[in-house]
Amino acid sequence: MVTLEKNIKGVKDVLTSQDIIVFEFNSLSGKKFAAIYADGLADKQLLGELVVKPLRDAKEDIKLDDVKLLLASPEVKDGTKIKDAIKEVSDGNAVLFVDGEKDFFIIGLKNPPGRTPAEPPTQIVIKGPREGFTEDIKTNLGLVRKRVKSENMQVKMLKTGKRSDTAVAMVYIDGVCEKGLPEKIEKQIAKNEIDLIPDSSYISQFISKKPRSLFKRNGTTEKPDIFCAKICEGRVGLIVDGSPIALTVPYMLVEDMQAAEDYYALSYRSTVLRIIRVMSLIVGMLLPALYISAQLFKIQLIPFQLLLKIASSISGLPLSPSVEMFFTLFVLEVLNEASIRMPKYVGLALSVVGALVLGDTAVKAGIISSPAIIIIALSAICLYTTPDLVETTTTLRWIFLIIAGSIGPFGIVVFICFLICYLVTEQSYGVPLMCPFAPLVKNDLYDSMVKANSYTLKKRPESLNVRDKVRLKQK
Amino acid sequence: MIKRSDKLVKKLAIVVYWAIMIILLGLFFSNDFGLVDIRKTSIIVAVGVDVEDGEVQVTAQLAVPQPSENGEGIQYTQVQGSGFTVADALNEINAKTGYYPKLLFCKLILIGEDCQKEELFKVLSCFYRRNYSELTALVAMCEGKASDMLAKTASLKSETTEAIRQVLSDELKKSANVSSVNLKDIAESGFSVSKACYMPYIEANKQGTSESGGGDAIGGDSQSGGGSSGGSSGESSGGGGGQGGSGGSGGGQSGGGSGSGGDEPLEFTARRTAIFSDGKFKGILDETQSFALDILVNEIRLAVLPFNYEDTDYTLGLKNTDGGVKLKVKDGKPTLTVSFKAKAQVQGAKVDITPKEVSQDDVVPTEVLKTAEKAVEERFENLLKTCRETDCDILEIKNLLHKYNYKYYDAFKDDILTRMEVKYEIEIESMN
Amino acid sequence: MKLCTRQICFILLAYTAVSRMILYPTLLSAACGRDLLFPALIDFFVQGVIIWAVAFLCSKTDKTLFELLEGALGNIVARIVYGLFAAFFFLTAIIPLFEQKLYVHAIFYDTIPSLLVFVPFFFFSVYAGTKGFKNIGRSADICLPVFILAMLFIFVMALVEVKWDNFLPILKTPIKKVFGGSLSTLYRFSEPCWLLMFMGHFKYKKWDAAKITLSYAGGAVITLFMLFVFYGIYGELAMSRQFAISKISLFFPAIELLGRIDLIALYILEIAMLFALVLNIQLTVHCVKKCTGYTDKNVISFIVNAALLIILVVCDSKFHSIHTVYEKWMWIVFVIFANVMPLLAWALPRRKKR
Repeated sequence: MVTLEKNIKGVKDVLTSQDIIVFEFNSLSGKKFAAIYADGLADKQLLGELVVKPLRDAKEDIKLDDVKLLLASPEVKDGTKIKDAIKEVSDGNAVLFVDGEKDFFIIGLKNPPGRTPAEPPTQIVIKGPREGFTEDIKTNLGLVRKRVKSENMQVKMLKTGKRSDTAVAMVYIDGVCEKGLPEKIEKQIAKNEIDLIPDSSYISQFISKKPRSLFKRNGTTEKPDIFCAKICEGRVGLIVDGSPIALTVPYMLVEDMQAAEDYYALSYRSTVLRIIRVMSLIVGMLLPALYISAQLFKIQLIPFQLLLKIASSISGLPLSPSVEMFFTLFVLEVLNEASIRMPKYVGLALSVVGALVLGDTAVKAGIISSPAIIIIALSAICLYTTPDLVETTTTLRWIFLIIAGSIGPFGIVVFICFLICYLVTEQSYGVPLMCPFAPLVKNDLYDSMVKANSYTLKKRPESLNVRDKVRLKQK
Repeated sequence: MIKRSDKLVKKLAIVVYWAIMIILLGLFFSNDFGLVDIRKTSIIVAVGVDVEDGEVQVTAQLAVPQPSENGEGIQYTQVQGSGFTVADALNEINAKTGYYPKLLFCKLILIGEDCQKEELFKVLSCFYRRNYSELTALVAMCEGKASDMLAKTASLKSETTEAIRQVLSDELKKSANVSSVNLKDIAESGFSVSKACYMPYIEANKQGTSESGGGDAIGGDSQSGGGSSGGSSGESSGGGGGQGGSGGSGGGQSGGGSGSGGDEPLEFTARRTAIFSDGKFKGILDETQSFALDILVNEIRLAVLPFNYEDTDYTLGLKNTDGGVKLKVKDGKPTLTVSFKAKAQVQGAKVDITPKEVSQDDVVPTEVLKTAEKAVEERFENLLKTCRETDCDILEIKNLLHKYNYKYYDAFKDDILTRMEVKYEIEIESMN
Repeated sequence: MKLCTRQICFILLAYTAVSRMILYPTLLSAACGRDLLFPALIDFFVQGVIIWAVAFLCSKTDKTLFELLEGALGNIVARIVYGLFAAFFFLTAIIPLFEQKLYVHAIFYDTIPSLLVFVPFFFFSVYAGTKGFKNIGRSADICLPVFILAMLFIFVMALVEVKWDNFLPILKTPIKKVFGGSLSTLYRFSEPCWLLMFMGHFKYKKWDAAKITLSYAGGAVITLFMLFVFYGIYGELAMSRQFAISKISLFFPAIELLGRIDLIALYILEIAMLFALVLNIQLTVHCVKKCTGYTDKNVISFIVNAALLIILVVCDSKFHSIHTVYEKWMWIVFVIFANVMPLLAWALPRRKKR
């Protein structure tokens, strides 16, 4: 006969922390029960209503099978091993021990503190759904399921993180996504053993075959509508518990030129916006570099009247053109970093210091020139038109700047060639990063630099090697 | 074994990567590549070339940036250098100023009168060298010394260079007021079988007069070389009334040498044209000859033709013009057809008018049109006469012979200008 | 398959044209004056026929040249032939490399910079040399639109200044001079060898031979148009204007106002130029790998590029002498490798792989 105390001890010996609560109670018939849960993770109110109340009210002596019938919770599982009980308690669920029984019940009461779905700050839209993922995997899966009700949508729950035991939901549409792809991803995740997975960015590195690369190998989104659209196109989605950013693979660079709104707005407008985004990206990365190479190596790049203005502005500056640009870009990065980290109420002061003190006064004092500030400001604005690529593009901007200041415009061209040469053979799970441009996939071009009308996009992207190619059928 | 070599390559790649980074950063911060950057450069906006006793004197007008917050602080200054060649003189400028003179932004090359004694391409050769300057730079000859011309004060623009470029502008070219050419045009015609070229002749006049503002200008007769300008100056001064104060510069210029330009604001005109054959200076076309040349070789939007009909001065505006020369050899006889077509409207006439007549300025009487045609023909004749007299083929007739009548080229190339028969097909119609 | 027909077509279309835009027009102008189009036309026609022959050969076999040689003459002979091809591609790369260096110095820098500024090309070239045919094909996918965009921009700017009568009187250059011009520039025609190397690396489909030949013809037409525009603008001056592509758009009226916007197009075009230049180096590496059996491409690419760099540094001031040798004698080598060898490949027994 297993006593209740023995079971409780079995759990408490491992989960010694004081926030692991043991709640012992008796039924009216005198039967002893113990509910163990993690304080703050499990829903105490539901425990009281769905578990404790019905059992307390039992007037007759009840057996283990009857207990399960009395429990009002919709999520009740049987458990036999103390190891499982420990895992579930850690996970946020409650475990119910019955005196004299070795077996126990796992009651799904997990309700970690979290926020309700809100508009994600990184992907704001004017037209279109405003819901965003939260840190809770179940909420996120609910948001996905709400949109994709297909019976073919598969959710495979994986666990990763040696100590955090973080849940990762792999979502895909069976019959659409490439055969064997989910298994490949699962294998890639399983290869890595790490203590803690605090965010999906860790998984992002694990699933990348070249984690040291400057270019990511997976798409990211905070919006369930984009996530659903991507899995419906044939990608595999990964939702990581504790992270509001979901991942999608395979990934193509062109994805980051596409915004959610492109699909909700008029296709002509979307095309114009995409072209603007690509141009902004190029200008943002290259403008500071071209500006200093023009000053140092090829002044003909600058129109004559502008050249006179620039020459006049930089005349008498203590810094050389390249160092001046380096310094200005450095200040921009510092301001950027500080404005993110600083408490909101100090932000205003920071803006004043950044814009007025550093900008205006530095120009007046003759330390930096006005054109340099304009160039850097324009570059910064341009790069934020593609926020998902900003980590890569800002790094590239530094590299281009250093190359331009040391080798000049030819260095820039050579580095672009190098990047093309590198990118054309890079892949994300068998899909070339530069698709649909290299290799050229004609059909996919309609949703790349241009955004064709939905009636034109009848097929899923060929680049993704999907099994079911047809996206739209007209009756 | 392969794995070991792979590891080695990877290690080597890391070393190379860091080495490159260090080198690049070193270069980036040291900022000394043996190159001439924007701060070490003097931006030359115009160049004046004079030749004195076989020595080339180059006057460079430099844009010198002054520290300024809003980029408005540009001062223009002139620096002179001399040497055996233009390049040599520029080198002296470099030595004098400490700035490397870049001709990439030089949009104007002025040649002083002294260069008339020199072979044109000897003077200009430096500008044709690889990457030294752009072939789009405008070229003009000026009265007196180029250095003096650049030093004058312009009345309309703050900068002399700007003012001179303004009178050589495309807009003026399209109104047949100047036959502006760039380095490429000169080389193209100069190196062709015709071996002739032309360029505008710049004169500086005191505001509102035709009096020369230059101190060094030599007499008009000596400049004209071919002897034609003197004869026609009277005509131009009479007919140019309709075109403002600059109209009579040709005639008035002969008295040059009197007044010094100094700081007094001057107006620049380029309505006369210097002509060259085989690189040698051949003379200066007067305004009417220049006008004839312009309407034959350039695309004209609106040309203004002053002439006299029955003791009344008329000024016709010529639109939709189409002019050119064609050479045909028939039965061994070369014939040059000089054609010109235009639509005319009355722009001005010294007659009393009624409001009704003003509203009908698009209707030009046939007799007036005939006289206009005759006036144009006279100008063409005058131009061709000068060409023959100076043996200067600025209408590129030899080129036409070479291109379109190649089989007669060897036979006629030496005397085509005198041998050919000239036919004029001039058709000026009323606008309505 | 590493390549597809489309990528081969792109290579022949873009790289054929882009590799003849620097000194080729100037040299032909000097050799044949206003009749410069005719020697080019002769060369392109002959090479076009050879290209068609090689493309047609590709339809008869799915084996690579190495496999064909190995099957017919044994491994040793196949290796020797590939060794000879390696030397040929190496020689082919030399003149364009010198040309490119001069061009870079002229259009990327205001004052003549040191040789060092061209060295970064070799970092790229070493890296690209380690890549295979898949990379070559995909790079061409990127380069073709880049090339077309830049060329359109430059041609539109250039056309305003073209004078059609600069070509008159036509065909008055002695025929000997025309053929002389054709022979002296033959060392720039190695395209049939590119196709020979691609053989077996792409799946031949019906009409591919026609597509490939037409693409080459497209490249030829663009080159001829470039020659036409260049001479149409400069006439007699053309022979003294080096780096043709950088000179033709100078007279566009907007340049006065906007500055040298054509330079941006030229810099974009430079991307395609560098990939075209690197193709010969990539093929050299490929042939050396096949010849020696040494699989580490990193090392081969490094050695090939180091050799080219040494030649570039040592012969920096001897370009004209090298060029004269190429003009006078190299046509023989090019006739053997680019014309005779592809035809000889027809004689090899070709059975399809199982």
